[in-house]
Amino acid sequence: MSGRFFIIALHEGGRIQEETWELVSFARRCGAAGPVMMVLSDEGSIERLAGELAHRTGLDVVGLAGSHLREYSAEAYIRTLVPFFRDASEEEEVHIAAAHTSRGIDFVPQLSIGIDACCITAVEDVGEGSFIRSLHHGRFRAEVRADRAKVVITVLPGAFAPEDIEPGKPGRIRIVPAGDISLSTRSRGTRAPVHANMGLTRAEVIVSAGRGLGGSENIRLLTMLSSLFPKSALGATRAVCDQGWLDYSHQIGSTGNTVSPRLYLACGISGAIQHLAGMRNSGMIVAINTDPHAAIFRTAHYGIVEDLTTFIPLLVDRCLKRG
Amino acid sequence: MKILVCVKQVYDSPETLVFDESTGQVTFGPHTVFRMNRYDEYALEEALRIRERLGGAVIDAISVGPARAAKTIRRAMELGADHGIHVQTGDIDSPGAFERAHLIAAAARGRGYDLVLAGVMAEDDMESQVGPLLAAVLEYGCATGVIFEEISGNGREIAVEREVEGGSRECLTLALPCVLTIQSGINTPRYPALSHVLRARSSELECIAASSLAVPPPAQSLVRILPPAQGRKGEIIEGTAVEKADKLIHILREHSLLPRQGA
Ligand SMILES: Cc1cc2nc3c(=O)[nH]c(=O)nc-3n(C[C@H](O)[C@H](O)[C@H](O)COP(=O)(O)OP(=O)(O)OC[C@H]3O[C@@H](n4cnc5c(N)ncnc54)[C@H](O)[C@@H]3O)c2cc1C
Repeated sequence: MSGRFFIIALHEGGRIQEETWELVSFARRCGAAGPVMMVLSDEGSIERLAGELAHRTGLDVVGLAGSHLREYSAEAYIRTLVPFFRDASEEEEVHIAAAHTSRGIDFVPQLSIGIDACCITAVEDVGEGSFIRSLHHGRFRAEVRADRAKVVITVLPGAFAPEDIEPGKPGRIRIVPAGDISLSTRSRGTRAPVHANMGLTRAEVIVSAGRGLGGSENIRLLTMLSSLFPKSALGATRAVCDQGWLDYSHQIGSTGNTVSPRLYLACGISGAIQHLAGMRNSGMIVAINTDPHAAIFRTAHYGIVEDLTTFIPLLVDRCLKRG
Repeated sequence: MKILVCVKQVYDSPETLVFDESTGQVTFGPHTVFRMNRYDEYALEEALRIRERLGGAVIDAISVGPARAAKTIRRAMELGADHGIHVQTGDIDSPGAFERAHLIAAAARGRGYDLVLAGVMAEDDMESQVGPLLAAVLEYGCATGVIFEEISGNGREIAVEREVEGGSRECLTLALPCVLTIQSGINTPRYPALSHVLRARSSELECIAASSLAVPPPAQSLVRILPPAQGRKGEIIEGTAVEKADKLIHILREHSLLPRQGA
């Protein structure tokens, strides 16, 4: 890919988010020559953040600084980034990548309109001048090509292994004052998760249910199955918690708990990326699902195509019989 | 207060999709059932709750899509939306998020919406773009992944909480008008009331031909549809149900994951 390539590094509590290092790999895969790291913050912290990026990646860094950037808001980011890219001519090719996180997906589409760019989200692979992303619950992928000179992209966390970067010579740092923009958005800080569940993060075996459970009356099937294992706990997809079949403290995934038990039994779970984000690192994953094409079978070590309402009782029964 | 809710029609289950590898096309099989995108159900419910809290609010539901999308707009009216707008795309089954957002913006402009709600993501394309794109086109403020909202400041602003990684919440206050994309779990969507069902049946939808709206040319094009990437080469355990159960028990025991029962 020709033209300039920017990687926007997001940060939280003074720390660069881990996905940033994956974006460096993504830029390499795109064949970007000398991508530039970009970070937005207030004057008090911009040099330290930019310094860390320059040292860890060896790439040049642009730090955009302003007091309105003390806390993240989409408005602050867009109103800083749009003027920065305004100097680029209409025909100049520019790629801008950020992580497909709750913040990336918040400001990136809005940025694309501001700079007349094409916006491609949740990119997980790179084609010949094209980008590849999942559709339809991960059942298919779409290869898409930008029809604008400027392209902004959110990259799916976990899709590109973080680059092993030789520290080498740190990149050059340029701090650009972004002015002090008065925002109509007021940040009021962050609230800690209400649903953190230590029992779940400590469990060695997690029996986890998805919408395929069918209803709260089938929770007893999970309890039955989990009673076979010591140190086990019940997990769930967001869909199960949204239905009220289990409360949100059981939710596993990007907006729930992150777990890595020795064994994860996924029952009636389709395998959405947001769910996988919370359990991908489990020792062994076993999936039970009626749909042989369910995405979960591509993450599971062992798959069983069966109806969980009949298979779980059978499994428990065989286990007890065999002693 | 005028509220616009964006509702998308999606297929109920991806199992009914048919993929033709030779043409790289995905089509709907004969058994495909369509319904409202679940995240949009939460957005609509939130609009209904705002109307109940504030009194006097008017809710419009809009959808961009082919003829069958009318059913999803009617559904929104059965659930309580006051007015339905259908931006008809004719043969184009599912325009991308960019076109969709521009079409909604073109239809919404000049109608004085104070608040626009959409689902955080469409279950089919999974782009999570329409809400924030629409906000930028309309030059409205925007918050995505909203799990709590409360209108304040005499109806001039809205306090929201956005759900982020790990379930933490970012708290912010936006000036109205603005666009919010709604996360599932913010409420429990209701069932339609009979009075609304009857009214929805007798009211007309406002139909606008997409071709009559001025929107920019698409920003991206589809090269082709691909099968999913080969993930882990996991083993599918075959056999009768009993054989599968026994094999699984054997595997778990081999890995010391399942103790002998009754020991
Ligand atoms: C911003 C954002 C954050 C999110 N965060 C999370 C998160 O933290 N955690 C999370 O889980 N999700 C999260 N989601 C939702 C996620 O995208 C999926 O919608 C969700 O994970 C799907 O849950 P599911 O697998 O239970 O349901 P579905 O996708 O509906 O899958 C149900 C599965 O059950 C199977 N099935 C049906 N009947 C049976 C049966 N009788 N026996 C066996 N199998 C059966 C079906 O074949 C299907 O594969 C998030 C989404 C967004 C947009």
